[in-house]
Amino acid sequence: MILLRLISWPYFRKHVLRTILTVAGIVLGVAVFVGMHTANQSVLFAFSRTVDRIAGKTEIQVTAGEAGFAEDILEKVQSAASVRVAVPVIEAVVDTNIAGEGHLLVLGVDMTGDRSLRDYDLDSGSEEVIDDPLVFLAQPDSIILTRQFAEKSGLAVNDRIRLGTVEGDRQFTIRGIMKTGGITSAFGGNLAIMDVYAAQRMFGRGRTFDRIDVGVNPGATIAECERELTALLGAGLQIEPPSGRGQQFEAMLAAYSMMVGISSLFALFIGMFIIYNSFAIAVTQRRSEIGILRALGATRAQIRWLFLGESAVTGLIGSIGGLAFGMLIARGIAASIGTLLSDVYGVAQRADEVSSSPALLAAALGIGIATSIVAAMIPARNAARVDPVQALQKGKYQVLSTGEYRLRAILAAIGGAGAIACLAVGGSRVVFYTGYVMAIVAALLISPMLAVALARAMRPVLKWLRPVEGALAADSLLQSPRRTSASVAALMLSLALVVAFAGMARASYDSIIDWMETALNPDLFVSPSQSIVVRTIRFPRSMEAELAAVPGVERVQAVRDARIVFRKTPVMVVAVDVASVAQTARRQPVAGDADDMYARTSAGQGLMVSDNLAQLQHLSLGQVLEVPAPYGVIRLPIAGIVVDYSDQQGTILMDSRVFQQYWHDDTVNIFRLYLKPGVPMPDVRRSILERYAGDRQVFVLTNAELKAYILKVTDQWFGLTSVQIAVAVLVAILGIVNTLTVSITDRRRELGVLQAVGGLRGQIRRTIWIEALSIGVLGLVLGLGLGAINLYYILQIIHEDIAGMRLEYAFPVTVVAALVPTILASAFIAAIWPAESAVHGSLVEALEYE
Amino acid sequence: MSSVITLEHVSKRFEGKRQVIALDGVSLAIERGEMVSIIGPSGSGKSTLLNLVGGLDRPTSGQVRIDGEALADLSDDDLTRVRRDKIGFIFQFFNLLPTLSCLENVGLPLHLRGWPRQKVDERSRELLTLVQLGHRLNHLPEELSGGERQRVAIARALSIYPPIILADEPTGNLDTHTGEEILALVRDLHGRLGSTVVIVTHDMKVAESCPRTIALRDGRIVQDVRR
Repeated sequence: MILLRLISWPYFRKHVLRTILTVAGIVLGVAVFVGMHTANQSVLFAFSRTVDRIAGKTEIQVTAGEAGFAEDILEKVQSAASVRVAVPVIEAVVDTNIAGEGHLLVLGVDMTGDRSLRDYDLDSGSEEVIDDPLVFLAQPDSIILTRQFAEKSGLAVNDRIRLGTVEGDRQFTIRGIMKTGGITSAFGGNLAIMDVYAAQRMFGRGRTFDRIDVGVNPGATIAECERELTALLGAGLQIEPPSGRGQQFEAMLAAYSMMVGISSLFALFIGMFIIYNSFAIAVTQRRSEIGILRALGATRAQIRWLFLGESAVTGLIGSIGGLAFGMLIARGIAASIGTLLSDVYGVAQRADEVSSSPALLAAALGIGIATSIVAAMIPARNAARVDPVQALQKGKYQVLSTGEYRLRAILAAIGGAGAIACLAVGGSRVVFYTGYVMAIVAALLISPMLAVALARAMRPVLKWLRPVEGALAADSLLQSPRRTSASVAALMLSLALVVAFAGMARASYDSIIDWMETALNPDLFVSPSQSIVVRTIRFPRSMEAELAAVPGVERVQAVRDARIVFRKTPVMVVAVDVASVAQTARRQPVAGDADDMYARTSAGQGLMVSDNLAQLQHLSLGQVLEVPAPYGVIRLPIAGIVVDYSDQQGTILMDSRVFQQYWHDDTVNIFRLYLKPGVPMPDVRRSILERYAGDRQVFVLTNAELKAYILKVTDQWFGLTSVQIAVAVLVAILGIVNTLTVSITDRRRELGVLQAVGGLRGQIRRTIWIEALSIGVLGLVLGLGLGAINLYYILQIIHEDIAGMRLEYAFPVTVVAALVPTILASAFIAAIWPAESAVHGSLVEALEYE
Repeated sequence: MSSVITLEHVSKRFEGKRQVIALDGVSLAIERGEMVSIIGPSGSGKSTLLNLVGGLDRPTSGQVRIDGEALADLSDDDLTRVRRDKIGFIFQFFNLLPTLSCLENVGLPLHLRGWPRQKVDERSRELLTLVQLGHRLNHLPEELSGGERQRVAIARALSIYPPIILADEPTGNLDTHTGEEILALVRDLHGRLGSTVVIVTHDMKVAESCPRTIALRDGRIVQDVRR
């Protein structure tokens, strides 16, 4: 401790900027980690809380994914001996039509029994309306709002509110306002209650419910009740406590969470290089100080602990800063995830409060400090090995020894060979991931040698371009491989991340576009909601004939899609008239014969599954699937595996008749319309809108609009990762600033000589700029190389472990073309301040500097 | 003869916890082609005087003129141009750039002036041959002895054929024999090129070998002897 105060503190005080840059590396790394995970956790927490609050005293919920089920299930549930109370529920998310208020979660409940599960504590309104459910039922336009929402929107009892329903915008009368507390905090307070049967009509549910909430008889346990209901209803329905929905939601976010995890890890890894770089430089610069300490009797262990202590303190300060900054950015990230969830998954969610668990904060603090200590281990070991006699002599210690070169080369060769062997052997995921880690480690080990070799190759070119500035810049890189390589390695890692994500994005785009070209080829799409992924409002099937009768329409295909729980994972069921789709959007299966696949599926003798579902659930052609449904478990063989991007967790495609048979549900989510040749699309669109004006809420999208929407959603999915990429690049730039700051200190005398013999300020600046640009070039070359390898691994991970999507390897040339000037410009920006500090110092002091 | 270096009441003070007066109202004129030594104990202001004459530093008050041009009025870049075009420096610790070869070190001031590569190369070879290092053109400084390094530094100082050569303890880091050789070389070049040479030294033998010696003490000229 005394050494930290006597030796370390004055050093940090003398090198304030470098200390700040070092700490900033950890701040950013930890902030990204905390921000991303806190946002993720907050959204999950908000969802669970919404589920929890809405559930009230519900002990068991009976659901069929989000598909819902017919009313008769309710009677069966109510007949169970262990059930005290069972009430139907419908949930729908509707547009409030109020600026800035977004969506409202409407809960359709049956007031006759519901109050034994949920408290509707009104602070205004007519008690008798609520006390007497019949009055509430008699007025189907009744709605109850929360106090928060009413206050925000300036609404009071007996006011009217216009909400989007399947019948178009409808006026509802506010019959009561709930006191704050309990259920009212669900969905951030944007909650409304209405009668379940009114909700069926308003949201086009036919005679179905979304779920049944159950209270268990005092004499029975929850487990007993679950068993009784399972026996009564069969295996096609989910019978579980309300918390099960949270788990499904979490499963849906799994792909996203994994990407967040990988990016956070990279950010920390890059931060680690900044720390390593700083400490490696510090050890070199403080050699004589270490020599004096050793000469005065300090043991090697004391020197090692001195540097490890410094790194722990740096890590602690950086981590605390990172926690604060992370919590700050978490709110923005949570909002983005909310938008993503509603646009990509159709699950509306609001995380109004960003809260982080103490465990996460403690983990982040621990990771930040550990990262810092691990990064400083090698420099600390080198410091401990300093020979006091050598250290007190002047000289250069930035160079790598031949022994170290050889060791690095051998280890890199072993790592590279190991990575190739792991790929060749294949088999388990452990082998694959071991190979991935070995490839990255090999790249890191070999990077200093490659950086030096490249810098040596660049010297003649730089000298030819600028005889003095170019040669000196290249020499600076060559003379200090440690200083150079850590920055280059940080840049290399961040670029490898960028290339992999960009490549993945490009491959995804290419695949999605391919899929859209074949599967989404109707001229128009008719939807009950502006967002095609919101499935809470549905059309009646009778519209199919009405649309077919619209002049100019040649063919109508009704699509019913719903997320169900298959093997404990939420997957999408898409039900269509397969025979009709086979004629208009015929797809070549990845496995199976197209004719046979369509014939069997349309005849109700088989199912089609998406490639990603087959991959994630290890399904194969011909295998009999067991798909749970409210009216029995569907047992049909897989007739074909097709590429389909309807859902990230996978899709099961079946014929409409099979769906209706097993779900007793003939409602429709979207209609696909093909027009007669030569009929103007705008005319048909207008006809449809006029046909349903004031009668039904109808949105008509053209093919181009739908495709643009899907691509926009894809963009959003990659949007958050680009934020992380920006952070990774920022951290790498910090590394360049750090390196240049040290480089200028090291070369103070050299730069002084240059000025003494006639170097103008502009020429000195150019030397620094060229050095920075050279670091940028080295980072680019190595980063793009490692990126090409990283992309391969990431695509494999996506295919095997995340989304099951089979993506074609394609190097993201366009992104790289944009990346080259971006990185060079960033490197140049990073060099501006160091270059200015280089030309503004005292020349006399510089010439005396040792 | 006209004065090529003129100091008019030049003072230099260093501010700190305690103010240090390095030069205290020094006035001095050095004629074109003169060879002058400046002597004095440590802290007498010799190096400060040389730094001010060389435009490496600026006086707190007073005026330094080189070839009649007042340095105080010049911008940093204009000051650099004066150094580049009129002054050659020889330092005690050579101050060669360690990563550049002898040829590149000598050519440095010429490259900075934007000379064509071939011309730079020719001049550098010529000067290295002049200082008897024609056989060491592509060697790095660390591969040379102390005397050889100082010869490279002299060749670099001469690269632009400057009218003024400023040498700060040019033999201070060399053994006696090598020091004498270097001094002989400086004298020889002075004779052949006719440059004005100012040498700061501790060594009385070096000082006495110059036709004029100026002695400093506590920032003031205490003696100015012409032989």
